[in-house]
Amino acid sequence: MTQHDPALLSAALSGAERAINQAILLAPTSHSALKALDGTLIGVEITSLELTLYLALAPGPEVRLLSHCEDKTATFVRGSLEDFATLITSEDPAATLINSGIELQGSSASLIRLQQVISQMDIDWEAPLVERLGDVTGHQLAEALRSLFRWGEGARKSLKRQLSEYLLEEGRLTPPKLELEHFFDGVQSLSMRVEKAQVKAEKLLAKAAARRAQQ
Amino acid sequence: MNDDAIDTSHSDDSTDFGFTRVDRAAKASLVREVFDSVASRYDLMNDLMSGGIHRLWKRFTIELSAARAGQTILDIAGGTGDLAAKFSRLVGPDGRVILADINAAMLEVGRDRLIDKGATGNIDVVQADAQSLPFEDGSIDCITIAFGLRNVTDKAMALRSMLRVLRPGGRLLVLEFSKPTSPLLAKIYDQYSFQVLPAMGKLIAQDADSYRYLAESIRKHPDQETLLGLMEEAGFANVSYHNMTGGIVAVHRGFKA
Repeated sequence: MTQHDPALLSAALSGAERAINQAILLAPTSHSALKALDGTLIGVEITSLELTLYLALAPGPEVRLLSHCEDKTATFVRGSLEDFATLITSEDPAATLINSGIELQGSSASLIRLQQVISQMDIDWEAPLVERLGDVTGHQLAEALRSLFRWGEGARKSLKRQLSEYLLEEGRLTPPKLELEHFFDGVQSLSMRVEKAQVKAEKLLAKAAARRAQQ
Repeated sequence: MNDDAIDTSHSDDSTDFGFTRVDRAAKASLVREVFDSVASRYDLMNDLMSGGIHRLWKRFTIELSAARAGQTILDIAGGTGDLAAKFSRLVGPDGRVILADINAAMLEVGRDRLIDKGATGNIDVVQADAQSLPFEDGSIDCITIAFGLRNVTDKAMALRSMLRVLRPGGRLLVLEFSKPTSPLLAKIYDQYSFQVLPAMGKLIAQDADSYRYLAESIRKHPDQETLLGLMEEAGFANVSYHNMTGGIVAVHRGFKA
């Protein structure tokens, strides 16, 4: 059981839940994918905050965030806030799940599917803006926001690419991915050869010991 | 308020009505007068008095209920029906929610609100006294009583009645004002309860006395450990509680073995 004040936690979860469900309402293309996950219950323990919460997908589709849940979770993940932030924004959630510090109990399938649905969610900001501000103003504001988001996304990708190039090529601070994978393959192959040699040596020693005993 | 019923002597037949002692037989009608007076603006006042935090306390209580489809939930002193509306969605069309209150005016407001919210198919509205619940033994999966137990004349009798109607394994959740855990918070809370709260009651519901009673009844209500003991004495098992907002409110949970 978490040590946080349940009312404070409820406030945080209630706000997050409302924001998520509002985003779902504005992203109708994600509804069929979310409906397929109906009934999914994922337990999340954020170690850095000493916080356990549960994410339940209900018909609607609707997301419920709970601080207390007695149902059995098919998936339970444990990690730091940083690990989860990385997972949510990851382009390859399966690889992130394996390589990050996140501990997983149960099935990873629904978690990976949910991450994919969230990352591919196409929120239609125009509808609520048009509803509140009228057709012309709403559409113009939505266009401006879209341009801003596109620019932001472009800038993020560009920064990521440039940073990666600097770390790999200019600064030589980290090895390239292929080089690293080759190194890991080599280590794994060496480890297997050592294990085989060890087994062979143990057999030979056992044989020698048996011969000495016969003499 | 009926002043004739107020008795300052401490005979065995008397009980607390806020900071005043009254005849046990008179308490129910005095409490009814209070809630008749505040019924129409009860939710608005709750929002103003708690800054909306009562919704968060109730949200956590609903989580602790572990309510699921097909269950029967009894919400005692359910008044304006905010818990019942949420339970109605959780238990679904195969489940049943009973909204019970001793006060007809509160039930009327609650029933109207539920109709407005479209929560009607699986909800029954019943005027009932918590001390003698008109339900079959072992017929309820979960009982909630939110901010209602302190107004009940005989709490032990009410708890026994709740235990009787629960199914084995069923649970009772008592959400009620309690004792702040920090002395500083207790002082601030006292000032708020006895200065601000009646003033707000006067301003919004034109009824300072009723809100003064509500503040006094909170102080006379058993603290966390005492209520836990009462629930255990009534026969509940695995009783525990969670303090919320520094102990201003606590939710107690007990199971029928």
